[in-house]
Amino acid sequence: MNETDIKALDVILAKHSENSEQLIPVLQDVQEKFGYLPGEVMERVARHLHIPASTVYGVATFYALFRLVPSGKRMVKVCQGTACHVRGGSGILKEVQKRLDIKPGETSADLANSLETIACFGSCALAPVMVVNKTVYGRMTAQKVGQILKETE
Amino acid sequence: MKLDELRSLAIAEWETLEKNHHLPRIIVGTATCGQAAGANAVLKTIEFELAANKIEASLMQVGCIGLCYAEPLVDIVKPGRPRICYGNVTPEKIKEIIHDYLIDDNPRSDLALGTLGDGTVAGIPKLFDLPMLKPQVRIILRNCGIIDPENIKHYIARGGYQGVSRALSMTPEQVIAEIKKSGLRGRGGAGFATATKWELCRKAAGSTKYIICNADEGDPGAFMNRSLLESDPHSVLEGMIIGAYAIGANEGFIYVRAEYPLAIVRLKHALDQMISNNLLGNNILETGFSFNLKIKEGAGAFVCGEETALMASIEGKRGMPRSRPPFPAVSGLWGKPTNINNVESWANAAAIMQKGADWFAGFGSDKSKGTKTFSLVGKVKRTGLIEVPLGMMINEIVYEIGGGIVNDKKFKGVQTGGPAGGCIPANMDLPVDYETLAQAGAIMGSGGMVVMDEDTCMVDIARYFLSFTQSESCGKCVMCRLGTKQLLTILENICAGKGKLEDIETLQNLSYQVKVGSLCGLGQNAPNPVLSTLRYFRNEYEEHIKKHHCAAAACRDIVDAPCSHTCPANIDVPRYVRFVADNKPDAALAVIQEKIPFPSVCGLVCFPPCERKCRRGQLDEAIAIRMLKRYASENGDGLWKQNLKVASPTGKRVAVVGSGPAGLTAAYYLAKLGHSVTVFEALPEAGGMMRFGIPDYRLPKNVLRNEIKEIENLGVNIKTGIRINNTDGLLKEGYNAVFVAIGAHQGMKLGVEGENSPRVSDCVTFLRDVSLGKPVTIGKRAAVIGGGNAAIDSARTARRLGARTVTIFYRRTREEMPADPEEIEQAIAEGINIQYLAAPLRIKKQGDALEMECIRMTLGAVDNSGRKRPEPMAGSEYKVIIDNVIAAIGQQPEIPEQFDLPVARGNVIKADPDTLAVEKTGVFAGGDALSGPASVIAAIASGRQAAISIDKYLGGSGSIDETLAPPEKELPPLEEAEEQRRPKMPMLPVSRRTSSFDEVELGYSRPKAREEAKRCLRCDKEKRE
Repeated sequence: MNETDIKALDVILAKHSENSEQLIPVLQDVQEKFGYLPGEVMERVARHLHIPASTVYGVATFYALFRLVPSGKRMVKVCQGTACHVRGGSGILKEVQKRLDIKPGETSADLANSLETIACFGSCALAPVMVVNKTVYGRMTAQKVGQILKETE
Repeated sequence: MKLDELRSLAIAEWETLEKNHHLPRIIVGTATCGQAAGANAVLKTIEFELAANKIEASLMQVGCIGLCYAEPLVDIVKPGRPRICYGNVTPEKIKEIIHDYLIDDNPRSDLALGTLGDGTVAGIPKLFDLPMLKPQVRIILRNCGIIDPENIKHYIARGGYQGVSRALSMTPEQVIAEIKKSGLRGRGGAGFATATKWELCRKAAGSTKYIICNADEGDPGAFMNRSLLESDPHSVLEGMIIGAYAIGANEGFIYVRAEYPLAIVRLKHALDQMISNNLLGNNILETGFSFNLKIKEGAGAFVCGEETALMASIEGKRGMPRSRPPFPAVSGLWGKPTNINNVESWANAAAIMQKGADWFAGFGSDKSKGTKTFSLVGKVKRTGLIEVPLGMMINEIVYEIGGGIVNDKKFKGVQTGGPAGGCIPANMDLPVDYETLAQAGAIMGSGGMVVMDEDTCMVDIARYFLSFTQSESCGKCVMCRLGTKQLLTILENICAGKGKLEDIETLQNLSYQVKVGSLCGLGQNAPNPVLSTLRYFRNEYEEHIKKHHCAAAACRDIVDAPCSHTCPANIDVPRYVRFVADNKPDAALAVIQEKIPFPSVCGLVCFPPCERKCRRGQLDEAIAIRMLKRYASENGDGLWKQNLKVASPTGKRVAVVGSGPAGLTAAYYLAKLGHSVTVFEALPEAGGMMRFGIPDYRLPKNVLRNEIKEIENLGVNIKTGIRINNTDGLLKEGYNAVFVAIGAHQGMKLGVEGENSPRVSDCVTFLRDVSLGKPVTIGKRAAVIGGGNAAIDSARTARRLGARTVTIFYRRTREEMPADPEEIEQAIAEGINIQYLAAPLRIKKQGDALEMECIRMTLGAVDNSGRKRPEPMAGSEYKVIIDNVIAAIGQQPEIPEQFDLPVARGNVIKADPDTLAVEKTGVFAGGDALSGPASVIAAIASGRQAAISIDKYLGGSGSIDETLAPPEKELPPLEEAEEQRRPKMPMLPVSRRTSSFDEVELGYSRPKAREEAKRCLRCDKEKRE
């Protein structure tokens, strides 16, 4: 980790008390800043909260939101919730996989794209749903996948 | 400012805003689903257009009113006018509306959904009178989509925080008593009595207590909590203050899943506002009660919706449940007494304290008081967020509120309770309450209600839910960790065509074990979808395992192409469609002939099941497969005969009784297998219902005769005019096997007085007599009773015989009519009237004619067929004068007594469903005689099955598959599909149709056929992963 990263991490840690109950909010802030949880960062967090690094690792690997490898610049999430499934969600996922050439959970080699499946975004009435970075797209069709991927390049 | 002062101010402001605002108001729904539907672009356009046209208006952003199917929604209030809600708004549409309504004075009723509040606008209904909203009782959702969720004064103006004022003026015990009186049960899914839970926590030892709002809402398919938090966060927070006071807690947490960023933003904002107004923090409203709330974000773990896992997560640990006792009420967060309730439970508490327990208990059923929000999603036309009194019937929710199934497909069932829940099949109309759903094997759950149709595979649904719970299992207990994995693996195998029959029992046993051996609700309920689908849809499991058949054509590993998979005869549709596209009708015809001996007949009259499943239909319109089959049959030559193989004679003799599609198809394949086949037909000509049931204008006689000739060319001996009364006799004569395919040629009687009049006949007799060329008299006024294809055939035939008015009387509505939609349309085009919801009571002679007394019907509760039962409306009798009545209300087989065959309900022959063997040795049954009236293609498939079975019985291999078409050439790759519907069907001009029995449908030309064939998506060529 370089100097700037360490400084940034310190700013985050300063916002939280040195209590182990802050672990998840700390990790959330860290991931917001760094895009993922680098190993060194987790070790520093552990020291700050006075808990073993293995505990931090255990929490980081338990929750689906935390990434231990960097994610791509564009994060595409396809919903596989029930309503989306019943309305063709797997077809949307297939189309996205085809176009981005990566499988769910993977990041492209050039770090341009990451693909994930999410169990449910909660926009079920607009199924099937796809999220690109922070924008939610509803009523997806295989057609629209191509369109939206082009628009968000 | 004191709350009372603030309230008066807020009310005054709100009233002015709603009724007397000096500027036009534009209100845009920008909750997450509004945004997902495109509300942000609409908002930008509004801002732009207002500026560009120098219009001053007040813009307000609101949450979700629950009409998600119509998002984005924009309301406009012109000063002095009612509030108008516009739906499905796009940037283009809002530009028009601003110009037309704000600048000119045209409210554009064509784009409006409804009006809100007082006053009306011509041509626009009241929004809350719309079928989706009318049955709803909106307590929880009262403010959603109406107020600005970021303005606490709006909430206060509409009764907000009155509940807190009232509660803080009572004792905590009194508050709990009020909640108890209301009958409120936890809305998170378990339905535990809320007051009891609060009481337990209040009574627990210790002075430090916590309350928690469970806003983890992990159920896929559920978004009620998200909507409420985004659209009216204060309604939940008010409930939490009340609860904290009743329990004696001074600190609370709201645990929101991280996937709900907007809800978190709205909550943070609401908390700040509460603090500024002394509604949170120290000494709330100067009553001495202090309470603080913190937001905790989840991090992506479904199991954290379980209360002990949730608390572990708040404590910064892995979200793994622990055993109870001790229950959270006694020892929860950091070992302190803790009360956890769902978002909606808290919101209900606020409403109850605002309006009183008696008011709340006035809604709902005996044991399930109040209302419940549901996310009505899936294959329903009007998806959205709804709120209904508990006890409302599922079918009312699906049909009245939801508007029925998308594309009018068949309703299959609903899934309630998410991954912990179960399915309720469509023909079980149940009230939605805790006890009833539990008894049926489902649960209320948090309120997700996923509607499924004929294209949903129930085995796939079980697999889907298990894949979810398996990946979300925390892993702590063996039974859940390994059990869900094993259940999932078995289900995946079944969906991939690798299942074994024992798997069903294994699934059942393992499910019970996982339920009993798991520590928390995730494992205890994960098997519910399996148990539930096995209970109601076992046949789907069996078909996947035994026949590798998926009725929904959804399981991609066993379904090559949904069209050929669904075809009862498994015709290789994509292959012949490609030959048509490639201008090779001979090859196309050969492909069809590989599976059926009646390509022309099917090309003209099939109903066709393939088109219903065509994937292209999800894009624009299903491929016109039947028309392409017709094209191939009319333009292809005898190429198929070149590769046709007929085995050498076996010396065995088979008798086929009945020369309909089942009998002739069986005869065809048996002859190809080398057997000597004789077909006995009672009527003067062969063809069965094809010849005597389907009129010439749909199926010309010579077309049928040509195809029958090809069957005879194989050596099949058809003996007409011979009625067989005894299968034993045939066996004695030396036939080695008998196939009974006598169809369902007995028309059902109406069961009304006067039906024995010579002017009243049944459709089978009527159509047969016409086909035989007998003189049939039809007066000027004909009545046909019924709603199936036979009714339409009878009506259109009566028209051609000279009836000037033909009226069909059907006891249900058009949506329920079983006749092909195309046929119904053609009947209407020919001037045939259809009276829906009408049925005959009695028929009397009236001079030279008949007087038929009818009664109007209304649709009542759902019956076994999944359709609403028609019920006569007393006092609605009316009379009509007609010359003839044709009854087309159903058919059944007419089985001679001496056949001595076992018979089942509907007077059909009982036989083994796989081998078609009857209990009498050497006798087989198939077609309509076995299934009851079905279709030509089903009968053909039955004939194929019979041939296979009989050949095996006679010592053969039962192998009838062959390749008759040449191999395919490499085709150019499919281009990106653009929206394009099928070419219009060329038809005889309407004026020429009813004056003869000439064919009405004329068939595609070669260019049209090729163009249409090119729309095929080649589903069979899709690569499998």
